Amino acid sequence: MIITKEIKMADVIHKNYNTLFILKRFGIELGFGDKTVEDVCEKYKVDVDFFLEILNAYVNHDYFPKKHLQTFSVKLITDYLQKTHQYYHQVKVPEIELLMQEMIHKCYTKKENLELLKRFFEQYKQELLNHTNREEEVVFPYTLAIEKAYLENNPDKSVLKLMKDYSIDIFKDEHDNIEEKLTDLKNIIIKYLPEPKNSELCYRLLQELFILEKDINDHSRIEDKVLVPKIREMEKQISSKLK
Amino acid sequence: MKKATFVIFDKSYIIRKGIASIIEKIENTQLIQLIDQEDEILSCIKNDNPDFLIFNPHTLSNVLLNKLSSLTRKTKQIALITDSESIANYSNYAEVIDINNTQSEILKKINQLIGEKEIKKTSYNYHEEISTREADIVKYIALGFSNKEIADKLFLSAHTVVTHRKNITRKLGIKTVPGLTIYAILNKIIDIDDTQ
Repeated sequence: MIITKEIKMADVIHKNYNTLFILKRFGIELGFGDKTVEDVCEKYKVDVDFFLEILNAYVNHDYFPKKHLQTFSVKLITDYLQKTHQYYHQVKVPEIELLMQEMIHKCYTKKENLELLKRFFEQYKQELLNHTNREEEVVFPYTLAIEKAYLENNPDKSVLKLMKDYSIDIFKDEHDNIEEKLTDLKNIIIKYLPEPKNSELCYRLLQELFILEKDINDHSRIEDKVLVPKIREMEKQISSKLK
Repeated sequence: MKKATFVIFDKSYIIRKGIASIIEKIENTQLIQLIDQEDEILSCIKNDNPDFLIFNPHTLSNVLLNKLSSLTRKTKQIALITDSESIANYSNYAEVIDINNTQSEILKKINQLIGEKEIKKTSYNYHEEISTREADIVKYIALGFSNKEIADKLFLSAHTVVTHRKNITRKLGIKTVPGLTIYAILNKIIDIDDTQ
């Protein structure tokens, strides 16, 4: 199902409750009565087209944003990506850590196995942090500079040096596989964690890991399919303009 | 997961069906046969090789009991007793179910038996997952050696080590070095102190 402006926001959630995560990221609160997606977005000053692209890409894996692609500002995209970073570090990761802590606390024998998993997740957390920091400190500022130059009639030549030092294709290459460790962790819990274990907590932990993984994949998809092509096109046009 | 298989012998229809209905409540169990003829027991064990045989020892001839106890097959025997005797008399049996046990007591006993079977499988048979050679390689990866170093240690080409690593990742679903290290510790391929 493709979500459109005219659909009631409440129905969007009924169809797929995972959309709640997205709503929260856009600062949209519950209690919208029978308002449509468009009405709700207007109330919260959210760009409705962008909101729909993100929502549809999230709900439907094969959905490929095209039509509105060029109309969004880079700032809109990077702001959203930055919000997802915050969500990982401030909400998801602490939730998972808390669950692991609880597992260790409620375990009376073989605590060391769980300590291992916890240490492993701590390494992952650091990796994720390095990854998002790099995006926020290097990649996003670069994309914003490119957009600025692109919009100017007579861009400063300094942008050429910027593009020479770094280009969006470098980002694409260095965009490493941040989910690898997460997959490992899931498999260790699903396949190899020996008894005794607290199944209830294991299930909850796995569920959280799956949610985080899906979200990160989705996040990468937006970067690779929306941000990268957009910036690459801008780079090209700037180059030809300044030749 | 492979299902735990059961064969039940008793002359009484009600008892056979009663036990069967309890076992059916447990996940991952499968009833192969309910038998009421004594002479069918041995052939059933031979043909179906069940994990568990439930029967009342008092209703079987000594000859048959001796034959059963000399069986070297994997089938575990569960004694079904009708009067509360001392359980010590049944030390040869994997478990004793008293006909007066409550349903939850019986469920608990059987679940425990199935659990033991599972634990044995996961802790000793990691070779089912990866070969001995692959386990060697996991060991060295976990200890922090590079592909080249592992190749030298095991007298393999670096290319072979890479192939092994690919197979290991495919079988285990674990790719990163820290992930493989945890696998190695959980499966006792290395000791946790080795990694310090």
